[in-house]
Amino acid sequence: MRTKLLALAVVGGLALAACGNGTTGTPTGGSKQGDTLRIAIGVDPDTMDPMRQTTTTIQNIVQMVVETMVKIDTSGKVQPALATAWQTSSDGLTWTFTLRSGVKFSDGQPFNAAAVKANFDRVLDPASTCPLCGPMRGVKSVDVVDDTHVKLNLAKPIAPMLGLLTEVTFGIVAPASIQKGGSTYSDQEKPIGTGPYTLAERVKGDHVTLQRHDGYWGTKPNYKSQKFLIVPEAASREALVRAGQADVILLPPVSDLPALQRDSTVKVLLAPGDRTIFMAFNTQDSQQTLLQKPEVRQALNYAINKDQIIKSVLFGAASPMDAPMASTLFGYCKVGSYPYDVSKAKSMLQAAGASNLTINLVSPQGRYIQDFQAAQVIANDLTAVGVKVNGPRTMDWPSYLGTINVAPAKASVDMHLLGWAPGYLDASQAMVQFQSTQWPPAGLATSYYQNPEVDQLLAKANSESDQSQRATDYCTASKQIWKDAPWLFLWVQRFPIVYSSKVTGVQSIPNESFYTMYASPA
Amino acid sequence: MLTYVLRRFLVAIPTLWGVATVVFIMARLLPGDPARVIAGVLATQGDVDRIRRQMGLDQPLPVQYLDFLGSLLRLDLGRSAHTNAPVLEEIGSRLPYTIELAFVALVVAVVIGILAGVTAAVRRNSKTDLIISSLSVFGISMPVYWLGLMLIIVFAVGLHALPAAGADQPTSIVLPALTLALFSVGLIARMTRSSMLEVLGQDYIRTARAMGLGSGSVIFRHALRNALLPIITVIGLQVGSLLGGAVLTETIFAWPGVGRLLIDSIFFRDYPVVQGLVLMFGATFILVNLLVDLLYAYVDPRIRYS
Amino acid sequence: MSIRASATAESLGATALEPEVAAAVGPSLALRRLLHHRSAAAGLGVLGVYILAGLLGPLLFPFNPAQNHLVDVFLPPGRPGHLLGTDNYGRDELLLILNGMRYTLSLGLLAVAIGLVVGVPLGAISGYFGGWVDIVIQRFTDVLLAFPSIVLALALVAGLGPGLRNVVIAVGVSSVPAFIRLVRADTLRLRELAFVEAARALGAPPARILLRHVIANALAPVIVQATLQMGFAILVAAGLGFFGLGVQPPTPEWGELLGEARNYIFSDPKLATFPGLAIFGAVLAFNLVGDGLRDVLDPRLR
Repeated sequence: MRTKLLALAVVGGLALAACGNGTTGTPTGGSKQGDTLRIAIGVDPDTMDPMRQTTTTIQNIVQMVVETMVKIDTSGKVQPALATAWQTSSDGLTWTFTLRSGVKFSDGQPFNAAAVKANFDRVLDPASTCPLCGPMRGVKSVDVVDDTHVKLNLAKPIAPMLGLLTEVTFGIVAPASIQKGGSTYSDQEKPIGTGPYTLAERVKGDHVTLQRHDGYWGTKPNYKSQKFLIVPEAASREALVRAGQADVILLPPVSDLPALQRDSTVKVLLAPGDRTIFMAFNTQDSQQTLLQKPEVRQALNYAINKDQIIKSVLFGAASPMDAPMASTLFGYCKVGSYPYDVSKAKSMLQAAGASNLTINLVSPQGRYIQDFQAAQVIANDLTAVGVKVNGPRTMDWPSYLGTINVAPAKASVDMHLLGWAPGYLDASQAMVQFQSTQWPPAGLATSYYQNPEVDQLLAKANSESDQSQRATDYCTASKQIWKDAPWLFLWVQRFPIVYSSKVTGVQSIPNESFYTMYASPA
Repeated sequence: MLTYVLRRFLVAIPTLWGVATVVFIMARLLPGDPARVIAGVLATQGDVDRIRRQMGLDQPLPVQYLDFLGSLLRLDLGRSAHTNAPVLEEIGSRLPYTIELAFVALVVAVVIGILAGVTAAVRRNSKTDLIISSLSVFGISMPVYWLGLMLIIVFAVGLHALPAAGADQPTSIVLPALTLALFSVGLIARMTRSSMLEVLGQDYIRTARAMGLGSGSVIFRHALRNALLPIITVIGLQVGSLLGGAVLTETIFAWPGVGRLLIDSIFFRDYPVVQGLVLMFGATFILVNLLVDLLYAYVDPRIRYS
Repeated sequence: MSIRASATAESLGATALEPEVAAAVGPSLALRRLLHHRSAAAGLGVLGVYILAGLLGPLLFPFNPAQNHLVDVFLPPGRPGHLLGTDNYGRDELLLILNGMRYTLSLGLLAVAIGLVVGVPLGAISGYFGGWVDIVIQRFTDVLLAFPSIVLALALVAGLGPGLRNVVIAVGVSSVPAFIRLVRADTLRLRELAFVEAARALGAPPARILLRHVIANALAPVIVQATLQMGFAILVAAGLGFFGLGVQPPTPEWGELLGEARNYIFSDPKLATFPGLAIFGAVLAFNLVGDGLRDVLDPRLR
């Protein structure tokens, strides 16, 4: 009886501890402690300022230092972080957040509503450079209700507000370090946040080192420091983890995945991602008018052997698309598939009078996993159903963007490969690709897709406060888009992470982020 | 001596100006709109125009040119389009790494190259000569990037003996420096060999030998010193070659130097940084050549008075 | 200038040649001597194989970019039908190497041709006329020489865009200074010689003097330099291809193949080895031939 009570007490205590810090139930007591976790990444940070940062991996790192009001957990759900509760007014124009108490910045200053207001004022200031602030510009003002309550006043409803707030763009930095000199704010190259780590050292081009902050309000990480090595070559990253000179690496060469999976000294995590890879048709193509017909585009979708490409070219690092967005997004619903069927493709093309189609194709190289390689195989598949393919041509990324990001009248390619990864896992971000208001050069809807019904549905869903209604609207829109086939729907890329068997607790978040916060030596 | 120094300086100045002008022309010749590139993909036309005005790109070309020269004299190289940090800071934070790499490679190349070249010259047409000459020719024929990749496979992954990438371990410099030095070792060895052969065939060497001076003394005190002049020239030229080779080596070994910065900046279309780097390479080389010329004049008095 | 006068000048020149120029050797004798030079002969042999393979290879084994088997990927060498194995697309490695040869060779050739066509006349003019012309050309050369070849080539290609034509221009421009310097040095020496003075005295126009007397006699070191420069041009051009700034895929240029192979050094190191060896072989061959030419054409040249 006594042991039972004791056991209950222990379990109860652990449960309380787990609830009290907002982490997703990772056991902390008893994990081994470690010195430095070395992680090799492929991008060199251009800036450490959360407001200006647009690269997911760097945002990932900054998020270990600067926390947000809410965060995404490893399964993609929004969880409380610096805000513990929130309410919306019935018209959706006011959001009130209850802030966590007892939190301090790493320089000792208290975290409170004034700090939140100061940060919002900075990012929403028209003079600030905030590339990802667009969707948040509906916020008119921020009010401090009291120390632990803050109110956001909106000019129009912002449906994905919670999702937006998970982005480190809207992370909370120590207000004392936000100085306004004239009309510009000082750069935050060494941001001071409330997170479990602080930015200790940055050697441009070589590494970024984070140091554990022992005054952190939540569960402390197991590693005293995490060092991010900047290694642009994928094969070099693999060399590092194989030689034991790095503990975790991101994005190894995909062709080595089978061998790495067989290697007992490392573990491979094919993290679920949210990056859809597709080939956009020029649906307003004036040169190749046949592409304006949905039947032709559907036919071409049937011509591609996606499973074979995923197996042989991507080495299993992707899953076929079954909707115009990834399954990890809010608003996703499974729509269907275009199974590989050469005869069906040919007969559909013939029925549409498109048996002698000629198209040109471009693809980036090295931007997405095996992008150019896949494009070549796609070109072959198209040739096999009687299409005359010019290309795929490739070019470096800035030139590529310059080629596809043009108004329809200036479009010069019939099909191009692209990837799209929404940062905060909301359908509104994915659906940007299908809104006619987002045609280049205003936006990046490079297929120039236009369907008035879809436009209406999306406009409604994007401002709807009722989340379940939103989901329904997005689903209906998805089904229509799938039928209209403005894209060759290809696959959803996974995010391969390889780590040493001597390390455990390496997780991921489905927006192409790694989560090594609570990793520990094995 | 002083007049010679002054004269060499005076020659260097128009060359520096020429370098700056070439860089300016190249930067303006580039296709594409730098303002749009800097503004980024998601920028509106208004943003692009604002940036164009900010960068002075809407001014007539001669005005831009004078502004450019003026800012150079103030050592203001502008801001990086990619990171918004001053170009000088971007270059300055990485330059020490390249200097370290190039210096180590140069020392290795000079020491091994001269020793090898002298040995080959002294034992002319022997097996040793053949081996050294063959290795030298191999050295200048080998693609740096291939050698680098092979070394990584063998030493980092195969033997776990040396780091595969990065600059944070003390032994990190070994593989990149060896890779970088290879071409220069070959060149210096060849140069030393032929220069020494020429000198060893001279009358005064035969005289020294006839007078009974020991071989070592003959070689080092008499022959090598006179053979040094063209070798010094080659070493000076090698600095340029090493800087160029650093571009490839740094990329393969993830070494955080200016070579890698150049490649990255080209791929990001970060024109201010590319411009600054090309200028820096040019200026460095001119200065090194100047030093070599002065060293030359110091070693060979005849030049001073020509 | 009358035929008699020019013949006189040449005969005067022939007897008045300085010792170093007297050693200049006629073409047929040079070739014979070259073939006897062991390492140069080896280099010529390799080059011969390369040129033959480069010309015949694409005819016998044409490269079809649309053919991606995706079935026999990463085959090791020695399989039936794939002497050197296959790459990540299932393309035959030997096919790739054979078809890539002409790009590498022609890149080198064209680049050096630019260097010659631009550099030699400029060097001769600079050395012969002296004065302001010389100063301007020399400063221009200094500026070009101030940039390491690969940096200059990278910057030019970055601006002009990737592709065969721009690589040729970029590497060609970086080859020019060496020829200017070389020919100028020789011109300075030759211009003082009796036969040139005689030609001038006889009223020969400068262009003729430059062409028939100066450049013709400076030819030997230029040929040596051109051969050696070929090797170097190939390295720089392949370096640009390595970064993806050269001939674009799927065209199998060796530098580009080597650059793509970076991702596969663990799963299949041979994808880097064969293009690397191919480049190495070509450069080595040119260097050996160049060395041999130097030994044969003018033993007094360093």
